[in-house]
Amino acid sequence: MLEIKNLHVSLEEEDKQIIKGLDLTINAGEVNAIMGPNGSGKSTLSYVLAGRPGYEVTDGSITYKGQDLLEMEIDERAAAGVFLAFQYPIEIPGVATMQFLKVALNAQRKARGEDEMTTPDFMRLVRGKAEQLNVTTDMLKRPVNVGFSGGEKKRAEILQMAVLEPALCVLDETDSGLDIDALRVVAEGVNALRSPERAMLVITHYQRLLDYIVPDRVHVMSDGRIVKSGGKELALELEKDGYAAFAA
Amino acid sequence: MTVSLMKTPAETAYADAFDPQGALADVRKSAFAQFAETGLPHRRMEDWKWTDLRQLISKALPPASGTSASAEAIDDLIAASPFGDVARARLVFVDGSYDPGRSSLPATGDVEFASLGSDDLPAWVSDKLVAGSTDPIAALNLAYMSDGAALRFKAGSGMDAPIELLFVTTAEQAATYTTRNVVVLDEGASATLIETHVGGTGEYLHNAVTQLHVGDNARLDRVKVQEEGLEAIHLSNLEVHLAQSACLKDFTLTIGGRATRQQGFITFDGEHSESYVSGAFLLTGKQHNDTRLVIDHAVPNCTSRELFKCVMDQAARGVFQGKAIVRRDAQKTDGNQSSHALLLSVDAEFDAKPELEIYADDVICGHGATSGDLDEDQMFYLRARGITETEAKSMLIGAFAAEAFDDVESGAIREVLGGLAEGWLARRKAG
Repeated sequence: MLEIKNLHVSLEEEDKQIIKGLDLTINAGEVNAIMGPNGSGKSTLSYVLAGRPGYEVTDGSITYKGQDLLEMEIDERAAAGVFLAFQYPIEIPGVATMQFLKVALNAQRKARGEDEMTTPDFMRLVRGKAEQLNVTTDMLKRPVNVGFSGGEKKRAEILQMAVLEPALCVLDETDSGLDIDALRVVAEGVNALRSPERAMLVITHYQRLLDYIVPDRVHVMSDGRIVKSGGKELALELEKDGYAAFAA
Repeated sequence: MTVSLMKTPAETAYADAFDPQGALADVRKSAFAQFAETGLPHRRMEDWKWTDLRQLISKALPPASGTSASAEAIDDLIAASPFGDVARARLVFVDGSYDPGRSSLPATGDVEFASLGSDDLPAWVSDKLVAGSTDPIAALNLAYMSDGAALRFKAGSGMDAPIELLFVTTAEQAATYTTRNVVVLDEGASATLIETHVGGTGEYLHNAVTQLHVGDNARLDRVKVQEEGLEAIHLSNLEVHLAQSACLKDFTLTIGGRATRQQGFITFDGEHSESYVSGAFLLTGKQHNDTRLVIDHAVPNCTSRELFKCVMDQAARGVFQGKAIVRRDAQKTDGNQSSHALLLSVDAEFDAKPELEIYADDVICGHGATSGDLDEDQMFYLRARGITETEAKSMLIGAFAAEAFDDVESGAIREVLGGLAEGWLARRKAG
């Protein structure tokens, strides 16, 4: 589903290279985890996948479902099924969460040439999924992420993911700022979305999240590259030995 | 040193046409004398430095009232008011004159109405028409006002169904139209008032004054929508007196007009009163909007809030001047004002001039002003969910402006305001 080859990424403003020759292949149905110390380039990778401005790809390629992902606009990537769950979800005052979700879903459907979803169908869809994730009606009425606690923001991200049903879910430090109960709710929400047609890329600093979202593959990232890949047991090794062995 | 300026053609036209008659002749004469002291305000007057009326009103726009427009043209403009389904009563003024045939009076004994153009005004109206305003444009208004609504809400009455004052200017003549409203709320009354200004496409000037006298324990919600024609000059003055434990919630949406100068003078006469004045401008082309507010905390224990959200596209120009005066006795004053500008083009410009004049020592007063472009992180977030760039921009602009009318009490009115903002955004998209 996703094939990253020899990816090199710099910050546009600082001319500083962050990703330095990264190779990664993700197949449908798999959960891949990327672990690594702070500053290894994990979040940058997630932003480059979603198309955030400010990053320059200086070399390499990203192919998503046979298409050149780097040639696609931000919203085209979303409509094609790429979803980034933000580490720090952005607050949008003045736009109700429910309205935002509806506009987003219908924009994606329109881009794919599908009919827009009617309001009653949409309400049913969201209510059902919101309940599973402990997202209250009050939260849905409030402006996007405004006044949400850390846990509420993360649950709202997973709700968006559940409603938009992407093919490739990129979760950037979804566990940060969550207590153990909130982590469990979020992980259950993510696990409910695992399917043979869907791939997930879980980016995390700590092994803890991977107790709940059990990965098929674990990759260690250090200084802008994948330096080791293995099965889920690799995460446990890292937890025990730390990242020191992989320091640049 | 006194600098005397040559009279402009517009000033000459105002002087030549001046011939006051009737019961208000003396009041009009002293008002005109007041105007004549300064003439049209210009950039060498500090409060007018961004809006020079001597330059702006470049030719004579003689005073006029009455209309030569066709019934069809008038009805089309009336239909342009977005409040047709919301207002429960509507008083229509066409080219500066009351049009009873197109109006519907409130169906209740709780409110008295008089047309200011009538010959014998009741004392509760004429008592309020006194010269002495320090503002030259408000003085010129009193000298020339041809008509407008006088409304009195009786003590203890609750008129929550909105009454609309609709001012239609057909722009058939390049003239000055002068209207004034006098609104009195007796003790404990509450009311919702809509003031709508719509106009045709020609050049004209509308000088509009609204006086609000909110009595003890009374509450007024007022919403003004200014959609004058795009060649029009709109000069308005809001004069508010709040008695004890009175409350005003005021919101203005400005979309129309080539040049707008809107002023609000809010005076607290009684303690424990509250004033919330907010507004949004949606400007494009070369539109100019200069909003000036003067909040006078003359007595203790009052609260004032001002929030203005200004969206400027293309070469539009916005100004917000907010001044709060806290007099020596006005302890425990709680005053705060903020203005926020969203500049959608490199040619757009916004100036903010907050002023605090505080003579009391136990007060909480603050002001804030921001000016900027759309937030890049918000844009990225919306687009990362599949929303197109154009749509994401519209959402963020709409949300930015809507914050100023979030507090409008009536859901139906809020919806109309949201619709007007959406219409503006759709026209912007269509470019």
